[in-house]
Amino acid sequence: MPTIKLTVNGSTHQVEIEEGRVTLLDVLRDKLELTGAKYGCGVGQCGACTVILNGEAVTSCTVLARKADGGEVLTVEGLSDGYTLHPIQEAFVESGAVQCGFCTPGLIMRTYYLLTKNAKATEEEILEALDKHLCRCTGYESILKAVKLAQAKMTL
Amino acid sequence: MELKYVGKPLRRVDAEAKVTGTATYVADIRLPRLLHAKVLRAGTPHARIRSIDTGEAEKMPGVVKVVTGKDCKILFGTCLWDQPPIAVDKVRHAGEAVAVVLAETPLQAETALKKIGVEYDPLPFVLDPIEAAGTKAPLIHEKNGEYGRVEYVVHPVKGTNIFHHYSLRNGDAEKGFQQGDVVIEEHFEFPLSNHCAIEPHGAICRFSSDGSIEIWASNQAPFVLRDVLADMFGIPAAKVRVHIPYLGGGFGGKSDICIEPLTAYAASLVPGYAVKLVLSRREVFTSTLVGRGVKARMKIGAREDGTFTALEAEMYFSDGAYGDTGWPVCTVAGHNCTGPYHFPHVKTDVYGVYTNSPPVGAYRGYGHPEGQFMVGRLIDILARKLGMPVWEVMQKNFLKEGKENALGQTISKSNGDLDRCLEEVKKALFTGKKPKENKRYLYGRGIAAMMKSPKMATNSSSGCLLSINADGSVFVALAGIEMGQGCQTVFTQMAAEALKVPIEKVRMYQDVDTQFSPWDWQTVASMQTYRGGRAIVQACERAIQQLKENAAEALGCAVEDIEYDGECYRRGEPSKRLSIGSLARGYMHENGLTVGVPVHTAGSYRVQGVIEPDPKTGMGNAAASWTFGCQAAEIRIEKATGKVEVLHFVSAFDPGKVINPVTCRGQVVGGVVQGMGATLMEKVEFKEDGTIRNANFGPYRLPRIKDVPKKQTVIFLETPNNEGPWCAKPIAEHPIVAVAPTIVNAIRDATGIEFNCLPVTADDILKALQQKGRS
Repeated sequence: MPTIKLTVNGSTHQVEIEEGRVTLLDVLRDKLELTGAKYGCGVGQCGACTVILNGEAVTSCTVLARKADGGEVLTVEGLSDGYTLHPIQEAFVESGAVQCGFCTPGLIMRTYYLLTKNAKATEEEILEALDKHLCRCTGYESILKAVKLAQAKMTL
Repeated sequence: MELKYVGKPLRRVDAEAKVTGTATYVADIRLPRLLHAKVLRAGTPHARIRSIDTGEAEKMPGVVKVVTGKDCKILFGTCLWDQPPIAVDKVRHAGEAVAVVLAETPLQAETALKKIGVEYDPLPFVLDPIEAAGTKAPLIHEKNGEYGRVEYVVHPVKGTNIFHHYSLRNGDAEKGFQQGDVVIEEHFEFPLSNHCAIEPHGAICRFSSDGSIEIWASNQAPFVLRDVLADMFGIPAAKVRVHIPYLGGGFGGKSDICIEPLTAYAASLVPGYAVKLVLSRREVFTSTLVGRGVKARMKIGAREDGTFTALEAEMYFSDGAYGDTGWPVCTVAGHNCTGPYHFPHVKTDVYGVYTNSPPVGAYRGYGHPEGQFMVGRLIDILARKLGMPVWEVMQKNFLKEGKENALGQTISKSNGDLDRCLEEVKKALFTGKKPKENKRYLYGRGIAAMMKSPKMATNSSSGCLLSINADGSVFVALAGIEMGQGCQTVFTQMAAEALKVPIEKVRMYQDVDTQFSPWDWQTVASMQTYRGGRAIVQACERAIQQLKENAAEALGCAVEDIEYDGECYRRGEPSKRLSIGSLARGYMHENGLTVGVPVHTAGSYRVQGVIEPDPKTGMGNAAASWTFGCQAAEIRIEKATGKVEVLHFVSAFDPGKVINPVTCRGQVVGGVVQGMGATLMEKVEFKEDGTIRNANFGPYRLPRIKDVPKKQTVIFLETPNNEGPWCAKPIAEHPIVAVAPTIVNAIRDATGIEFNCLPVTADDILKALQQKGRS
């Protein structure tokens, strides 16, 4: 079985890859037991599987594992130390932006990408980023509020 | 007394687990000896199975077993036993399961699927419910009418595809129409839609050598699931254990029994292994339950002054391949299609019809959005015909104190204040002037009111188990499923309030486990706050009583002399207090002597006096609670594209006491957007060959952040009532009910064009505008 090397949330892993279509999402969830990233559609439409790969936000369900070989990945599990929350996570909690929670990790990683690249993102830029995601519970109002709150927290 | 937690915008108790990625959903669960299941789907909508060749697939690497329906004698159901867990001799829709491969990895199972050969004898298929109800349609179930069923509630028509006919006869509709001056009649269509919870359905099932079954499932109805599995395999319910982890959205799409029988059937053939089936998004579209799907005609009559005289409706639900989950939708659509209005004479006929689509099941508010889209549109048309403001017509006929609904139940003042809901909506949206048409946009405003009374089992109950620990912390267990609506949080709030303890000390476990959780009918019908809350209050009252008894023994006085305010003390001696922790295991004196008993109590609440509608009249005390509301929208339509933008959407509901303003607003704002999807974009489409054309996100479009209203105003009236805990009433499904008539009425206001088929897409509007020469 071919092997790939990945650095995920700061630690390096050698992972064996099965024959066939194995995605970065499969590796994260099945091999590394990082189940924060979710499978929602498998075609990059819902954004629930969003992680940061080599500094870019990607839908990990559409990235083939072998293409991620040698890459550096940040997932929602790597955002905080396990004791405290990242300001984006705090903002989602405080804004009531979490309902069923299935789309939440993806949205948080998208927000992380947006605000670390562009701390002063305009409302239009925020909407553009969030439009890549689907949420069926919230109607998005509280999510927009959360991203703006996160922005305020991170620029303090 | 001032409330400390109830009514406060407290943080969700499940939020931290969900933002850190540690909240566990069914797909995240791993068990020892786990096999992965992949399912071969029919791919053809109606056919006899001639043969299935699994030989080659069985030899593929990692494959442990290939399961087919050969020799499967099981039919499962809750009120109508018409469905096998896997296709046996024929397939009835293109997404039906024909074979299951169990392998060591998902990829191995997927690869082996391609090696299974199936030969079919194709049969003619039918998707249109009116055509399917006719005598020339291909018969989808030869045994319709012979299946086991609860005869009082399911009424099949033998020799046809109609598996359920609900009819309501309240008064004399013909006479009613004669009494009216105006009659309005239209045809309507509400297409099949998908719930689109972002979490796909999943289940893990394990059979043990002692004959017991354990299952982890994404399901809103753990106890129904338990009983269905027990029935399928002929074992006691006590030997079936159902676990429900966090649910990634439900909307009714996980309230019916769906993929679990298939998973369990496969698992029953490999005892000792755990079998995990997680659907692909495509399979969620092709092979779970869908919602809505009705073609109908409705007619209302009114006097010149706007007073309604009669309503008549005929509805055909394209309920898909199996009927157990579709019949309740038909019944409730039949009696609640009147909306929040009094019609002196009502006649409805609703047909649940087998078609070759995935089966229809519950979907947020089922029966209500379908029926009330029609009445909301007809009232808009009627008001213009009478030359009256639409709200005058609405208000004149509101179901309020002393008025009877179609079932014959009399509404009381405490059921809600619809007049004020209307006033609030008018104030919020209609006071300013509507923007004038300009070069680019047409502007419109629409309004509609709604009523929902949940359809439920007549014995529908919730239970609550409560125990207090020696440090004064409190465990509360209910079997309400946290699926995003926030029940775990409001349960915690209500328990802290009722027990008068700091909320930090209350822990409400989210995991539901039928072995330990108290019985709960299911998490549907917006009932958890209302019904679960009553169970919590009773459990807390009983705990307080036990604490008082323990304190009385400890202090050597009568129970009547003990006061409780979060701690116990003897009346007149408020400084000498006993904490609940010190009383939780009985009270231990300094020398170790212990008096009293440990405090663990149970509470329960069952809806009161509910009966099934009478099979002859369709009437009776079938509803136990009503929530009323009114919604309005201001929209603009881009002339060049037909695109609708909702500028302002206003909702006013009377859910009684709002337990948590943040989660409650979340229900409304999210429900409105889901309703917008149904109104403007969502529809399950079929190809010529009877398979689904748009079986994934993307081709099936649902609202994204750029589609939502520019502004949403949400108003809650809190009319006191004797029903729920702290007067709280159901609210979760309600926000979706009147969205379609509200927006479509606004589109009519903007364009002058009547649309009665959903969704009303930009293309539909553009085409209609071009015909009118207005784009």
